[in-house]
Amino acid sequence: MNPYQVLGVSETATDAEVKTAYRELAKKYHPDNYADSPLADLAEQKMKEVNEAYDMICDMRKNPSGSHSTYSQGAYNNAQYTHTNFPDVRRLIKEGRLDDAMQILNGVSGVGRNAEWYFLMGMIFSRKGWTEQAYSYFQTACRMEPNNQEFISALNNMNARRNYNPSGYNTVNSGGCSVCDVCTTLVCMDCLCDCCGGNGCC
Amino acid sequence: MFGFVTVDRSEMLGKDFDAYKAIYCSLCKQLGKEYTFLSRFILSYDCTFYAVMALSLEDDCSGFCTGRCRFNPLKKCNYLKNNEEALSKAAALSIISVYYKLVDNIADGGFFEKLLCYLLMPFFSVWHKKAKKKFPKIEEAVAEMSKAQFEVERDADCSIDKAADPTATMLSKVLSFLTDDAETCRILSTMGYFLGKWIYLIDAANDYDDDMKKSNFNPYVIAFRDKKPSHLKDINASLDHCLSECLLSYNLLEVRRFNRIIDNLLIYGLPKKQESVLYKENKN
Repeated sequence: MNPYQVLGVSETATDAEVKTAYRELAKKYHPDNYADSPLADLAEQKMKEVNEAYDMICDMRKNPSGSHSTYSQGAYNNAQYTHTNFPDVRRLIKEGRLDDAMQILNGVSGVGRNAEWYFLMGMIFSRKGWTEQAYSYFQTACRMEPNNQEFISALNNMNARRNYNPSGYNTVNSGGCSVCDVCTTLVCMDCLCDCCGGNGCC
Repeated sequence: MFGFVTVDRSEMLGKDFDAYKAIYCSLCKQLGKEYTFLSRFILSYDCTFYAVMALSLEDDCSGFCTGRCRFNPLKKCNYLKNNEEALSKAAALSIISVYYKLVDNIADGGFFEKLLCYLLMPFFSVWHKKAKKKFPKIEEAVAEMSKAQFEVERDADCSIDKAADPTATMLSKVLSFLTDDAETCRILSTMGYFLGKWIYLIDAANDYDDDMKKSNFNPYVIAFRDKKPSHLKDINASLDHCLSECLLSYNLLEVRRFNRIIDNLLIYGLPKKQESVLYKENKN
């Protein structure tokens, strides 16, 4: 593997250029973006490659100021939940067996349909590409348990995706700045801060 | 459902636009070559996009040559030198999708629409047969879509996701046929699903007022029948969601060439189209 090729920079690039390229790619492949995507595993793999390439370049250059890769590889849904009522369903979703996972969830009735049930239903629909359904399930999960970090970050991530703005300026004039925009901005800023990894860059 | 997948010329480099135009002209030429001169009239930007995707994944691209346009002999056009396979696939998709559009119109169109479709049908039956023989998988995917769409539209409470599923699945399959690599296939299939969903939904958004008046099937009319004031914002969010997912999938794809054309399409072309469908027309 040529680490420079992975990061898309020339071997003569300065440390700052390498770091910028790394940051751009890390933002692009950040696992949070793909947490509820059918391509989550591929994105994780890409992220790993980028991290490895960056670490390799840092080691080769032995630059004392060059920090190492700071992005975690796992998405938030892998690590952050402490208690789950549906370990099997989570495993099936991770393996991509969506129909089996759905079947188990559909078998749950009445009080068993707690916030996590709605969250996992949202997860399945999101991976199937049924975005509207997924969004409504995530919203219900957050309404039922407004303090659950896992559900909130899933919904925030989805909210960010429901406002498509890849070119950096707003193409749609919806006017003004809503509460939702503020939230999205905060989420984005949070991501950017993560990216700097507390190395005093921001 | 045609004509929504266009590039934004103002955000494009000249050389990229030349390449895009050359692919457009080459597809036109390919249609003429395989399905007679008349079939050139069905050339669409949507199928040009399919050709761009096909070409972007091919191992080699032999470059361009100059020739004369059949519609305007005074004009000189650039054409791709080789890459018949990719162009042939896109040409087949053009024929097959227009054929099924005609079949749908004959089933539920107005009197004049039906009449026109009946007149065109003999030509398209012959071309469709030929395309089917060449690329049976593409034909099967579009045929399934047509059938599934008919089923879906009989559901009076059809959700947005369900209504868009047949078109999304069709494009997902058709794009995944462009590669043999399992990983690339998954990426293309996801990207195709969300692009197909966007195409279906932008068409539904475009027809919203019309369908409401005539009480035609439209998933947005069904979804927002009880809450009218904020429907544009909700429609926009649902379309944005599709584009975001499409771009996320595309970001994982290893594209060999023409990446700036596809970037332009996803970053500028489609959002601009969406804005014009949702906001500009309503203001007038």
